[in-house]
Amino acid sequence: MEGHQRNRYLYDRLNARVAGVSRDQVATLKYWTEEMGLTFPIFSNPVGHLGIWFDTLEEGYPMFSRKTVVIDKWGVIRYMQAGSPDFQEILTLLKQLHEEETKR
Amino acid sequence: MNPALSRRFTFRPLIAVCAVLLIAACAPAAARVADPLANLRQADGTAVWQQEYRFEPPPAPWQLIDLDEDDYSIAFMKICSDGYPCQSTLAYAEEPFGYSRDFEERQAEFFRRFLWASRVAFEPPKLRKVKVLGQDGLEAITVGVEPVLRHKVWCKILFARRGERVVAFYFTQWRPEKNGFEPADEADFGRFVASFSFLQPSFYERLFSQSTPKAGTP
Repeated sequence: MEGHQRNRYLYDRLNARVAGVSRDQVATLKYWTEEMGLTFPIFSNPVGHLGIWFDTLEEGYPMFSRKTVVIDKWGVIRYMQAGSPDFQEILTLLKQLHEEETKR
Repeated sequence: MNPALSRRFTFRPLIAVCAVLLIAACAPAAARVADPLANLRQADGTAVWQQEYRFEPPPAPWQLIDLDEDDYSIAFMKICSDGYPCQSTLAYAEEPFGYSRDFEERQAEFFRRFLWASRVAFEPPKLRKVKVLGQDGLEAITVGVEPVLRHKVWCKILFARRGERVVAFYFTQWRPEKNGFEPADEADFGRFVASFSFLQPSFYERLFSQSTPKAGTP
């Protein structure tokens, strides 16, 4: 999350928005985002259906495993990667999507 | 000759030979210690790291830290024996804690996370505008105390700029609360910083100056 916050100015330049999803309650996330100084939205999804959609809910483990998903403005998933985010890969893709969009 | 005396004379040279062999066996082993920077060292004494940075490595007994996390880009550690803990670390971090591209804001964000797991309470840092990597930078010096174990850590952080992003050099020195700090280690840190240079523009500098390769292609 810190890396996304650090790169937020670049996401803005590439006309991209970032959001997080967690199974924690709103009150927990509110405290945590304030403590971390995060200024982008973190969605609370205790039921976990978003995690099921994106295949991040491991059987027998209550939390989402970490996954980065890039969705274009038409709602098409263009990138999905488990584990720690690879910011160079993400930014390169966002730049490519931005160039595609401005060419249209 | 007394047989017992004869045996003693026979064994003495044997013991001496064994002792020499043992000592000789130790000497090459010590000499064989691998230099982890051997392949990186240049003729001028500097080291080139991943075709990205050039710097003068601190002298032994500083040793390269094997990094398995993202807190540092490159780091060296020096252990001493003046009580516990007795350790200095110097490092360069491409992505120091915090987010802001403003030095003053960044240092405040930085110290909320730096050494967080060590439960250190920092004094308010003393800030000073300095030149780092030939550009405007910010020096932050503070001492932190771990009140339960009675350890203290002296920190000097130099915030610098690579392109529009903030990077940082760290120096920390851990000592028992009652012991003094060792200024010579900080001098090694100063030489490391002074010798440090970038060999190419960073990914972030290249991002908007080059045409985009297709994502997923090498």
